[in-house]
Amino acid sequence: MKTILSYLSPYKILVIVALVLMLVELSVELVQPLLIAIIIDDGILAEDQQAIILWGSIMLGISFLAFLAGIINTYIASHIVQSYGFDIRQALFKKVQAFTMATFLKFPTASLITRLTTDVTITQNLIFMGLRIMLRAPLLVVGSIIMSFIVNPYLAMFLVIGAPFLVVFLYIMSRNGLKLFSKVQKRVDQVTRKIQENLQAVRLIKAYLRGNFESSRFASVADNLKVDNVKAFRIMELILPVLLFVMNVSLLAVLWFGAKEIQTGDVELGELVAIINYAMRMTGAFSMFAFIIIFFSRAKASSERMEEVLKVEEGIEIINEDSEGTTPGIGEIEFQHVSFHYPTTDLPVLKDVSFKVQPGSKLAIMGATGSGKSTLLNLIPRFFDTTEGTILIDGIDVKEWPLKELRKIIGLVPQQSILFTGSIEENLGWGDQAATEELLREAANQAQIHESIEQFPDQYNTRVGQKGVNLSGGQKQRLSIARALVRKPEILLLDDSTSALDVSTENALWEALEEENATMLVITQKIRTAKGADHILLLEEGQVSAYGTHDELMKDSTLYKAIAESQQEGGEHDELHS
Amino acid sequence: MMNFIRKPFGYEPIITKEDLQKDHKKKVDKASDWKGVLKGIWNLVDEQRFLLVIVLLMVVVSSALALVGPYLIGVIVDDHISKSIFVGLSKIIGVLLFVYLFFSIATYLQSYWMIGISQQTIFRLRTGLFEHLQKLPVSFFDKRQHGELMSRMTNDIENVSQTLNSSFIQVFSSILTLVGTTVVMLLLSPLMTLVTLIIVPFMYFAMRWITKRTSKLFKEQQKAVGELNGMIEETISGQRIVKAFSQEGRMLEEFAIKSERLKRTGFWALTYSGFIPKVMNLLNNTSFTLVAAVGGLLAYYGHVTIGEIVIFTEYSRQFTRPLNDLANQFNTVLSAIAGAERVFAIMDEPIEDDAALDNADYVLKGNVTFEDVTFYYNKDDESPTISNVSFHVDSGKTAALVGATGAGKTTIMQLLARFYEVNGGRILVDGISIDELPRHTLRSQTAFVLQDPFLFEMTVRENIRYGKLNATDEEVLHAAKEANAHDFIMKLPHGYDTILSADGGEISQGQKQLLSIARALIADPAILLLDEATSSIDTVTEMKIQEALERLMEGRTSFVIAHRLNTIRQADLIFVMEAGKLIESGTQDELLQKKGKYYSMLTNSKT
Repeated sequence: MKTILSYLSPYKILVIVALVLMLVELSVELVQPLLIAIIIDDGILAEDQQAIILWGSIMLGISFLAFLAGIINTYIASHIVQSYGFDIRQALFKKVQAFTMATFLKFPTASLITRLTTDVTITQNLIFMGLRIMLRAPLLVVGSIIMSFIVNPYLAMFLVIGAPFLVVFLYIMSRNGLKLFSKVQKRVDQVTRKIQENLQAVRLIKAYLRGNFESSRFASVADNLKVDNVKAFRIMELILPVLLFVMNVSLLAVLWFGAKEIQTGDVELGELVAIINYAMRMTGAFSMFAFIIIFFSRAKASSERMEEVLKVEEGIEIINEDSEGTTPGIGEIEFQHVSFHYPTTDLPVLKDVSFKVQPGSKLAIMGATGSGKSTLLNLIPRFFDTTEGTILIDGIDVKEWPLKELRKIIGLVPQQSILFTGSIEENLGWGDQAATEELLREAANQAQIHESIEQFPDQYNTRVGQKGVNLSGGQKQRLSIARALVRKPEILLLDDSTSALDVSTENALWEALEEENATMLVITQKIRTAKGADHILLLEEGQVSAYGTHDELMKDSTLYKAIAESQQEGGEHDELHS
Repeated sequence: MMNFIRKPFGYEPIITKEDLQKDHKKKVDKASDWKGVLKGIWNLVDEQRFLLVIVLLMVVVSSALALVGPYLIGVIVDDHISKSIFVGLSKIIGVLLFVYLFFSIATYLQSYWMIGISQQTIFRLRTGLFEHLQKLPVSFFDKRQHGELMSRMTNDIENVSQTLNSSFIQVFSSILTLVGTTVVMLLLSPLMTLVTLIIVPFMYFAMRWITKRTSKLFKEQQKAVGELNGMIEETISGQRIVKAFSQEGRMLEEFAIKSERLKRTGFWALTYSGFIPKVMNLLNNTSFTLVAAVGGLLAYYGHVTIGEIVIFTEYSRQFTRPLNDLANQFNTVLSAIAGAERVFAIMDEPIEDDAALDNADYVLKGNVTFEDVTFYYNKDDESPTISNVSFHVDSGKTAALVGATGAGKTTIMQLLARFYEVNGGRILVDGISIDELPRHTLRSQTAFVLQDPFLFEMTVRENIRYGKLNATDEEVLHAAKEANAHDFIMKLPHGYDTILSADGGEISQGQKQLLSIARALIADPAILLLDEATSSIDTVTEMKIQEALERLMEGRTSFVIAHRLNTIRQADLIFVMEAGKLIESGTQDELLQKKGKYYSMLTNSKT
């Protein structure tokens, strides 16, 4: 809850104004029964027509005042709530953007989405209530009690008899609510995750005809949400009837003892009527109380979820936006006894890997599935930090590099081509907003995708990504390569990014890349590609099993030979040229 | 000052006068299809309607008790206290005690049951939407952002949920209380009733003014939430790229723009809907004053008693409170309808409907024929993705599709699995056009290993079993071994029971492909579609699983997309694709003799 308050603090003055306006409204409401008592006692009973008209007009006048206050309060409250929402969303998103890949493993995408949307909304609802009615209910109750004490302390006493019991009761309920609603939000995460998974796997599910299976899996997740929601709300809905009953019994006590007092003449009729009126107002406010507790518990659960994100201290990347990219890299890469395991497991992925790549040269990385090739590449832009050993770029430990600088000289093409919703042009210029159209076309040309783009109906304006056209696997790969080239990187990391390309396209691509003069680390399955590299690094279960040129490895490495043989001309894996 | 009213805190207005006038002229409020949405929700309530009737009964009981309470208090004041008659007072108070007790019980019971009903209804809505999504064609998903669809599943449905939880009871009890109060007031004093009723027309106009705006704003707001969701989902899913290209700053800016849009619509929606209680309060207070003042005057002239005024001031509250609630509920309902409409919009999307088709039990032999097939992904594409493709593959034979990327190989497979409908020509299986074959029949006998391997957030075992839900553990083990996945699976922290994380994070792409091959191996299809099934697998491992794949292809009609010559050479038929056209087809020998494209592809690769 502290977090919420701290995000409200820029609007302190407005909050105060809103609360003052709310108090104006409230006082009007509190004064009214008093005025009615006056109208009854001084006007009607005293048969004074003037007094009735006078007090009547005063009542009208102040209700209009309350109305004005209310309207202005609405504007201000909306503004505060929406600004708060905007600010906290920004803060959350900024934090999430700074997460390291390791931190992302802890927060699933679906959960982050809920935290940034639903959870924010829930706290917004609470604040809006808070600025308009939430304080109003307790104040109305307190005010009513004070007013009734002013009118008649003896009778008023009966109104507060149940109070201690109610305080304890409400405390327990709000504690319970917090627990129940955090569980509900977790369930929402799961629902979100399930639907996301299904959207990603639409084709697979259809191909295997698992629509019904998925529906039933979803139903169980949705059922969990339902059950927890029902549980939470059924318990929270207890609040209102209990509050009402306690209040109503107090009212009866007032009536009973009031009647007796009137009998003895200690209380006037008008006083009793006023107190009854206050009691009834309190009853009305009590139904607000029930709401408030529910909203409060929900918001608390949500704000704790947001705080979890905002409070992440470890696993945050520090990106210095100001650092000027004055020193262009040369592109030397060196691994010194690098070992690595993912934070979630103890299973070593890389073991004591050492090698050095000269600027402008090309290293092919080969190895069996799961031997740690992609992981090795991911360590260079510091998606993960090494468990042991150091990686040096241009002789400097990557941990010493300003992240932005480091990544600026690296062009990464991941194994899975991820494109964003937008046009081809936007996707190409994605890493460099300032890139000229010429540069984009040049990169597209180099990546051998220009001609394909020209054939699309909207050419460079063709929409791709989640809302885009169907691109073939090879087209996506080439777009993703072009996107990396636009930034003219000194180091190019290609993670098996040409697997879907046919031989002639790939050959043309490599030729074009030669011109770039970048240091290249290329993961590949193909001996043909490896041959074109200056050196080849062969990984086996996370360890360097061989390093050298093609010819050297053909001599020294039995594993390499086995791979080569499998791909020999006319052999098992010779390829087709298209 | 005027400027502040028009653009408070700098928020540009969203609804202009012109907008409202336009609607007025059209006379049709496009903002909401009330009837349709309410009917849709009513259908979802379904077998719980009986329970709903009971809830309504409870509402009647509690509303009646809510009326009895103040009435008895009026009686106490009028007949006992003001007349100083204290005989029987304890009896009435005793009755009141029970009235209040039952009132509380009835109040709880109605919410207790209503929560059950509404959450069950929401459950149905949610699962219904999900089931519907399962039936929608692939082309539907091509055009939508994931996060946006997810938002409908959560935010929009949540909106409906909150409303159902409370609004139904509120609306019904408000109406009841309203009717009840009016009747009692009329019985007590028609004159005073009239005074109380004066404010009703004002309320009507005020509400109309507000809801005209909010109904639109709520829709805009839900849309903005959806867009924001879409953006968050995409950025977080593609975080690796964001980081690699250091685009965090720009993402933040783009996020700010979308967030700002939500802030703006949110501000207006909140402000206008926030007016409702204020306006109602003013009218309430006015009514309260009128009752007191006019009542006082009437009492002065002896037309009413003081007790009646006391009752009426209370009744004027009893009367305006439900009106108040109705007004507020009306607004909540509007926002729920804005959400529900977005849900039902998807429900209205045409599904892959096979209900009318026979042949449900048809067992495929696997003779595949393409007859002059033409296909466009988008209607307005200039050139088709597939144009006039014809071929025939006999049952049990293997066909290799070769050609440059983007030539249409994957599309051929997707058409065969009927992910998309052809625009021209026919695809026949065993002489039956596939659009006369239920998709279920077709797909249940087809195994498709897709280019991008996808694994679910389940155990490894369950992921393999996805190919055949009733497969035994032995079968799973066997398939994993065949696919050469067993060794790496055993190295995972919990072996076959390791739960794969959301993005399959810690296992490699090649390992994912091994698992998806295992998944295909376990299914027992008549037609097998392998789309670059081994592209990320190293060639040594691939050699090992090749045998298993060959065994799998035996006796089944198989379509294979691959670059490796060996796979292609072993095919019975080779189809050479270029720019969506089938330019050559035949056996390896035939094509080599022909010395056409395939020949040149082959010879080129040897140089």
